[in-house]
Amino acid sequence: MARAKRKNRNESMLIRYLVLGSWALTCLAPIIWFLSIAFRPRTEIVGTYPIYIPTLSLDAWFQLIENWPIAQYLRNSLVSVTGSVIIDLCLAIPAAFALSRYEFKGREDIGFYILSTRMMAPAIVAVPIFFLFRKMGLLDSVWALMLVYAAINLSLVTWIIRSYMLDIPKELEDAARTDGAGDLRILWEIIIPACLPGIITAAVIAAIFAINEFLFTLLIASTEKAYTMSVALANFTGGSDGVIYNAIALVSFLAFVPILILVILIQKHLSRGLTMGAVKG
Amino acid sequence: MASIQLNNIVKSYGAFLGVREMTLDIKDEEFLVLLGPSGCGKTTTMRMIAGLEQPTEGEIIIGDEVVTGVDARDRDVAMVFQGYALYPNMSIYENIRFPLRMRGVPKAEQDALIRRAAQMVELGEYLDRKPSALSGGQRQRAALARAVVRQPQVFLMDEPLSNLDAKLRASMRVQIKHLQRQLRVTTVYVTHDQIEAMTLADRIVIMDKGAIQQIGTPDQIYADPANTFVAGFIGQPPMNLIAGTANGGTFAAQGLKVACPLSLSGKVTLGIRPEDCSVGGDDVQGMVYGVEPTGDMTYLTVTTGAKQIEVKAARDFRSDIDVPISIGFDPTRLYFFDEQGQRLRGKA
Repeated sequence: MARAKRKNRNESMLIRYLVLGSWALTCLAPIIWFLSIAFRPRTEIVGTYPIYIPTLSLDAWFQLIENWPIAQYLRNSLVSVTGSVIIDLCLAIPAAFALSRYEFKGREDIGFYILSTRMMAPAIVAVPIFFLFRKMGLLDSVWALMLVYAAINLSLVTWIIRSYMLDIPKELEDAARTDGAGDLRILWEIIIPACLPGIITAAVIAAIFAINEFLFTLLIASTEKAYTMSVALANFTGGSDGVIYNAIALVSFLAFVPILILVILIQKHLSRGLTMGAVKG
Repeated sequence: MASIQLNNIVKSYGAFLGVREMTLDIKDEEFLVLLGPSGCGKTTTMRMIAGLEQPTEGEIIIGDEVVTGVDARDRDVAMVFQGYALYPNMSIYENIRFPLRMRGVPKAEQDALIRRAAQMVELGEYLDRKPSALSGGQRQRAALARAVVRQPQVFLMDEPLSNLDAKLRASMRVQIKHLQRQLRVTTVYVTHDQIEAMTLADRIVIMDKGAIQQIGTPDQIYADPANTFVAGFIGQPPMNLIAGTANGGTFAAQGLKVACPLSLSGKVTLGIRPEDCSVGGDDVQGMVYGVEPTGDMTYLTVTTGAKQIEVKAARDFRSDIDVPISIGFDPTRLYFFDEQGQRLRGKA
């Protein structure tokens, strides 16, 4: 009896692992696929028959380093994304503090208005932004990208941080106030540490959106001076060399790794950060 | 150390009056308890003393200084909260140090003060821990240490024991009272628990619907209630309140007739505490509804007419239900209230 039960349990575990394993493989397949392309010689990618055991080649790496300023693209991405996240946090944290801790008329409406700016289709403001930046002489500059990314993500970052701040008991703030702390001190020493997971989550989400941003980057960055990884990737699909599949795969991989690392770091908080704004008013 | 004066304090939220025209003098070094049901305005009153809320009207004086409109951080008060309110990112040591840092106490003096405060609440060995690594009782002691460390003029405690279990609550109660006597700091304590109020207070302020119902020592409040609200709020089980009619020196209600020592007539309410009722006697004829032995006594519930009367009977009293029983009242412990619930103290 006990043996039969154990056998049943083993079988159900096996089925569970098989199902989960196949799902994991399905999810990982595209990553494995482009990794395998990235490390193949170009001749092996476009053959008529599939090659199951590819030759390991660093052709794409050398080609990339020799022909494209890949370090510049990476640097542009890093500077614009990091800068935009810093701008977002500097603006969103005080805004979220005011929207979550102060009582004032229209507080909820302002909160919702800020979020609603995120609902607008980006294409609507694309042309005005282009003219605006041209007038300011900021076209084709990493600083412009930084500002645009910051503007795009500011509402979402504010909303996520505000949701976390609403969760902090009011008693903590009252205690700090009777202990002699002012608003800035309360924000800096009590509220920010207490909602640090929310701030990190918001920052990572903003970074992911910024890394992946394409439309505005294409609009503002017209030369390699301001190209980021997302726009550079598109440039590999044309030109005199034809479609350079292994280089595309490699650049995709390089663009993907930082996001993957960020997501792994915050996966515990990520779903909370994304759903909190939805369920809390 | 300071006295506190509330002069005609009103707190309104739109049309709703949270606190109505409250005037209260709290003496220096006094332990004053604000007692009342949820929503009676006791916490709002305390928050106004703390400076966390400002009164709509009226004046608050701490010591010699009018503090109405002064921010919480500029009043020399320390507060202990129901939910402990320890800063989760700081160690217990840092938590206790926080008010010292905020008030600019020189660094050299801080350590000794922190250790002394921690010692007072027997928390010396937990200073390196984060609040999450402490039990509920230890957390509340840490919150107490944070309040006492800077020796404020006033302690404010907002239901500090409500989150603790019954046994811990009893031991913390003694500790709080001891600490207050030791430090001799004027203390205002908010609770809805009458046992806490009776055991801790020098004076109790009973509140209901934003207004003071009675102010007095625990003995006065218990022995001389001002109205039916106070009479029904204090005592476990609370005072029996029986509506009836007084006429010619007799009070009568359904199933009940007692001699009325006051010269009253018309509709009145009789009050009698369960401990002043006894089995036997001939004031009430009723039926046994329930018998609840507690070990040191037995709670007896008797149905008479439409009313149930609670009696504290001897600890060995036992009875089946629905058995006829007669109850006697101690004639010297009868209270009478008018139709509005106010105490009648007419001449006998």
